Amino acid sequence: MSLKKYQNELIILLSLLIMMGAYFYKSHHITQQREGGSQANQALLEAKKAINLKRIWADKSLKKKVDILQNIVAPSKVTWNKSKKKLYAKYTGLGPNELNKLITKILNIPVSITLLDVKKVGSNYNVEFKCKW
Amino acid sequence: MERQNILNFMTNNRELILVHANMHKMTLKKPINVMLTPQFYTVKKEALPIQYAYQAKKIAPSLFDGLLEDDSVHEYMVFKEKGEDEDYWVFIAYASEKIVSFLEEKGIESRYVHKIYFAQQAVHDFEQAPLALGENEVLLVKDGTVVVAPRVVLGTETNLQEFKQTFTPKTSGISIKNSSSNASSFITQTQALSLAAIFMLFAGIFIIEGLRYKSDSNSNTEEMNTLYEAHPGLQASYQREAILNKYSTIDQLERKKRDSINTASKMIFKGVTLTQIYVDKQKFYAQFSCSTVTISKRVKTLLEKRDKNHFFTIKGEKNLTLEGAL
Repeated sequence: MSLKKYQNELIILLSLLIMMGAYFYKSHHITQQREGGSQANQALLEAKKAINLKRIWADKSLKKKVDILQNIVAPSKVTWNKSKKKLYAKYTGLGPNELNKLITKILNIPVSITLLDVKKVGSNYNVEFKCKW
Repeated sequence: MERQNILNFMTNNRELILVHANMHKMTLKKPINVMLTPQFYTVKKEALPIQYAYQAKKIAPSLFDGLLEDDSVHEYMVFKEKGEDEDYWVFIAYASEKIVSFLEEKGIESRYVHKIYFAQQAVHDFEQAPLALGENEVLLVKDGTVVVAPRVVLGTETNLQEFKQTFTPKTSGISIKNSSSNASSFITQTQALSLAAIFMLFAGIFIIEGLRYKSDSNSNTEEMNTLYEAHPGLQASYQREAILNKYSTIDQLERKKRDSINTASKMIFKGVTLTQIYVDKQKFYAQFSCSTVTISKRVKTLLEKRDKNHFFTIKGEKNLTLEGAL
């Protein structure tokens, strides 16, 4: 009987409690996301960055890509020595255009350049190139 | 004071019904205020040296001693009325149960009754002219008190007045207690439902936002798990850091080498011949041969513009040497 008397107040109280519950639910997930999320986000960013860098600098198809450097100029001008993950190439008598083409290609292949020595001899260029991947 | 005004305003918005013994039965669909004729209460006016209403209310039962019927529980209402010479305390004794019972008999369910007023509270309105209560009775003011009298006491030419909504007293009324209704609630059911709807709307918004934050956290975790499944080596933070350090160092160094070669290649234009470029793990070195000193200066200016980090050092007059540590 007395509950019925206060039914309006009870309706408001109940809905207010539901609203507060919903607010705390939201706050809980915000806090959880902030606390756990920042660590998880950092780990995720690190992992993504590591994967991307590894994909670039430890690309498994590099071995094939490097072979382009052998055929970019006439075979007579190239001394080619490729071992498992290293390359030693010597180019002689390259014209400016050939040199330009070769350098552009070298710069676009993601290998670790250990030596690049370009010397002008007369009107041509000699190139010594060492890299690893 | 302000709160009282608001309450008065809310109260005054409701229709005021005059309740008397001969009234017809009625049907209600919305909350109302009720004004009772003296048929439902007993009034006494006293000029007492009392300052506050609560003090007057304390002595009210003793004032009505012997005047009231013993079969009902009486309650009291007290207010001050201005007289010509002095102020009076007006004491009203009423029996809630009887009033509620009569109202329900006339179709006025107590859940629809918001406030109950007494005709005495609107004495100044009734002073204007008598008011007819059915065919045989009238409500009139006698010696400053609202009374019910037979209609015959009035002359045939006496003007009667209609009951008006403006009779709603400015002083507060009473609420029905111990009733099964919700009229004693501070707020009505409509107001309660409206407020509840607003709260539930907010609750809905909060839950939706909460779910969104939850799914964001979950999607990050899922992405992490997918990534770790594809690359189990990255699960431990020290492994991640080791891989990151290794490839970041390679990335920085190789970018620097390539940037240096690109910068050197931009220095080649008409009148400038590249004679050597040398790059190894630690240093960069380039040599240019310029046809004139003017061109040499131009090369230097161009380099200064491009080399904002001051990575290179340039030496020589016509034969320029460009150097930088990696």
